Amino acid sequence: MKSEDAVSQKKPGGLKFDRRTFIKLSALTGAAIGAGQVLGPAITHSSDPVPPGAAAPLDEKWINTSCINCPARCAIKVRVTGGKAVKITGNPLSRVSEGKVCPRAYVGLQVLYDQGRINSPLKRTNAQKGKGVDPKWAPVSWEEALDEIVRRLQAIRQKEEPHKLLLFSGLNTRSSEDLIARFAEAYGTPNLVSGDALEAETLKAGNWMADGRYGDAAYDLDNTNYILAFGADILESSRPLARLLRKWGKMRREKPNRTKIVVINPRYSLTAAKADWWAPINPGTDAALAMALAHVIIRENLYDSAFVSRWTAGFDAYRKLALDEYSPEEVAKITGVDADDIRKMAREFAGTRPAIAIGGREAVDWTNGSYTAYAIACLNALVGSIDVPGGVIYQEGVKFSPLPGIAEDGIVKKGKSQPALDLRKTAKYPLAEVVTNQIPESLLKGEPYPVEMAIGFNSNFNMLAPGMEKWDEALGKIPFYVHIAPFVSEMAFAADLILPATTYLEEWAYDFSPPGSGFAELKLKQPVIPRRGKNRPIPEVIFEIAKKTGGVVANAFVGLGDNAEGFVKYRTASLLSWKEFVETGVWIGNDYEYRKYERLFATPSKKFEFYSGNMKALFAAKQLAAGDLSFLPHYAAPKFIGEASAFPLVLLPYQPLMVVENGSQNYPWAQEAFLPMCGVGWQVFAEMNTDTAKKLGLKNGGFVWVESAAGKIRAKVKFSEGIHPEVVAMATGQGHWSYGKWQTGIGVNPNEITGLDYDSLSGQSAFFNTRVKVYKA
Amino acid sequence: MPRWGMVIDLDKCVGCQACTVACKAENNVPHGSPEEQQERRDFFWNKMIAATSGRYPSVKTELIPMPCMHCDKAPCVTVCPAEATYRRADGIIVQDFRRCIGCKYCIVACPYGARNFNGKEQEEKEYSRHDLPPDRKSWGPWPFPTRTHGVVEKCTFCFHRIDQGLKEGKKIGTEVVPACVEACPSGARIFGDMDDPKSNVSRTLASRDSFQLREELSTHPKVYYLPK
Repeated sequence: MKSEDAVSQKKPGGLKFDRRTFIKLSALTGAAIGAGQVLGPAITHSSDPVPPGAAAPLDEKWINTSCINCPARCAIKVRVTGGKAVKITGNPLSRVSEGKVCPRAYVGLQVLYDQGRINSPLKRTNAQKGKGVDPKWAPVSWEEALDEIVRRLQAIRQKEEPHKLLLFSGLNTRSSEDLIARFAEAYGTPNLVSGDALEAETLKAGNWMADGRYGDAAYDLDNTNYILAFGADILESSRPLARLLRKWGKMRREKPNRTKIVVINPRYSLTAAKADWWAPINPGTDAALAMALAHVIIRENLYDSAFVSRWTAGFDAYRKLALDEYSPEEVAKITGVDADDIRKMAREFAGTRPAIAIGGREAVDWTNGSYTAYAIACLNALVGSIDVPGGVIYQEGVKFSPLPGIAEDGIVKKGKSQPALDLRKTAKYPLAEVVTNQIPESLLKGEPYPVEMAIGFNSNFNMLAPGMEKWDEALGKIPFYVHIAPFVSEMAFAADLILPATTYLEEWAYDFSPPGSGFAELKLKQPVIPRRGKNRPIPEVIFEIAKKTGGVVANAFVGLGDNAEGFVKYRTASLLSWKEFVETGVWIGNDYEYRKYERLFATPSKKFEFYSGNMKALFAAKQLAAGDLSFLPHYAAPKFIGEASAFPLVLLPYQPLMVVENGSQNYPWAQEAFLPMCGVGWQVFAEMNTDTAKKLGLKNGGFVWVESAAGKIRAKVKFSEGIHPEVVAMATGQGHWSYGKWQTGIGVNPNEITGLDYDSLSGQSAFFNTRVKVYKA
Repeated sequence: MPRWGMVIDLDKCVGCQACTVACKAENNVPHGSPEEQQERRDFFWNKMIAATSGRYPSVKTELIPMPCMHCDKAPCVTVCPAEATYRRADGIIVQDFRRCIGCKYCIVACPYGARNFNGKEQEEKEYSRHDLPPDRKSWGPWPFPTRTHGVVEKCTFCFHRIDQGLKEGKKIGTEVVPACVEACPSGARIFGDMDDPKSNVSRTLASRDSFQLREELSTHPKVYYLPK
């Protein structure tokens, strides 16, 4: 349906009249004459009731599917008319988000119809690699591309070195993740690297120390009366976001007790602006505050003694540590939070039950992050908010039809016995499941071994990781790099071969949300329109590569449905009928069951542990020497990168809501509403405390250099009353330099100047410990 | 005849701007560009403004989502020389693009900055809605899907939805609401008949403190805000 031009339309009366005619007419008849006089009273207003007339019924479909513009993976429905997707909204059957979605989901239309998408496999013809070097892409056929990949995969296997294949997984559907993991396993490489260690591993490690479960916590927000958010940007980058946005409304006004929300963060975030109390804190000192709260709660006997005595272990050691070392007066000196405020916060938190303490990025993305997360988890146990209504709850998993075992051959066994490139589970990162940012270091050093080939699935680590320049350099060192994604992201720019993947609106997949609701919920993805260009879904590519590679690799993918749709059917057959799943788009598990303490804790004592037996066992197994303090939540001063004398400020790269996390930012809707707290889009500021900026002689709105030991970037400075005096906040998500009209050349990426550092237990990257100086540009 | 109005609960609002983006998608409002924003030529039928006051650390930022206020005494209607903007019987202030001469008097007159001058020929995007409003297709292309440069545009309370809903006998305010109300994830917006004492909007206003923007101007806006 081509739409007509609104102004050159013939009136029903046959008079051709448009705006230009009107202006000419007005000029002739004199500007003073009003329009009514010129046109006469006979003109009808075009929004008046429509004269009766046959309107052709629309071909309209609503298709239930799910979003993946961020890892929350919300259930959505898409309106398709005339073969085009024209509207996205929430699927009301979803109980995770209650039918609501965040604005990122609406941007999906611009993701699908992005002009910057790749439409055919592309091969690099310029051997030189690097930022700003034109790869001179040449289109090749799928057959040619896949044959080359398979030839190389077979050659590596023939040399019996399957561990020299490196796989990167960015933001993928759960079904793609399952297939990628299976491919790694069947091929025989331990080197499957996700982006998890750029986000949330410290929180998982903290939970593991406390309750033995290495995973994110879920929160029963329906019933809680008090939230203490340590650095958690609940309304911007926490997950599952749509659920948090929905529940925020509920907590405030849809329950008898209005939930009080306290935000502890060096930055006056959007969340802080909407909360009841913003407590600015010295960067990286959240653990001290958490321990001081414990000090007050224990000293004043405000803790839940019934829960503590029955279901926790190690309380005496924790009690002694908190009482001896973390008095509000001492901690006030460390954190900058007033001692009276600490006492008030502790009394409110312990006195308002149920209450939850939530950890988030600004608190735990530090070198001491695991212990901070542990200290926050302990606060919840202290007030008995474990597996109770309104407390921390434990996410149920989805019981898929299981995947059959893989028949390993000698080559696979040999490959898998090699140490992983990212040094996970070694003495350097004893607790780590993955150490994303170790990869460039390992690649550059060729240790523990060099790689021969790498495949990236929707990954874009050289935009997301601190010290991103190392990634650019390391990716250039990979002998053959294949990138599979819908967009030429910065990471795709380093590829020797790009395979165009479908977006999530054109493919079959299943997905489930990160922990949030407690009960399990599975979501379907189904194509809403036919694939565009020569794109193929990732599962299809994996099936094909596996089949062509042959041997054990091919065997591992036999009987799994043969393609993306078949795989989803295979995995979900045990849950519900296919027809029902396609119609509803969601499957929901049983209601949540509280207080299942008997089978909850995976610790040596089978209780919640204030003194981590798991940690003690791990240290013993790895033969690491450590004192008792290593097994208790505690505060250790954060390690900063750069001297305070040369670099007096601390960089805080925060993530605003409108960062679409699929490797691209080429979406005008997301861009123009990018920084709501500043009221602008399309840019990024160096946000500084007004007094600090004035002392440095800066002018609001002027350009400055933000310089760290790693380099410097140029940005406009924005004076703010909502920033800790020693902090410079900058939004991430901008600074793209690869393809895309609406992203290239907009703003800068603060990750360009962050230094490389880790939480040494979990391998999670530290994001906030880079010192900087700011001066006029 | 109902009198449509909207209530925005600032206590529930999470500042996510789902309303802003949903409005653009619903009404084919063109997106801007960095240059247009710099020159303040980009436009929104529904936007969010941030008003900050106070000194560190006692700072306060109010995030206020703003559709058109649909004033009962609308200054934009009074000043329009072309009768292009007018108040419908149900209180919705509408802009007739075919009569608009782009003189911008209404933009100057509007105390809320709710009106935008469309200075560009609108590109048709693949995701643009080509179906709105369904029945008007046969009669003429008002006001969707295509607009042209040189007219003033504004929020319509998604009257196409209301009209269609009424025709289908649906309940306005529960079954049928404007796109921004439907999109709001925290449930901060309510829409309905201000003259119906049993409507959600009337009940909410009766039970809570509320304010209108620039009440002193006596424009009688039909968008009410509930403070935190």
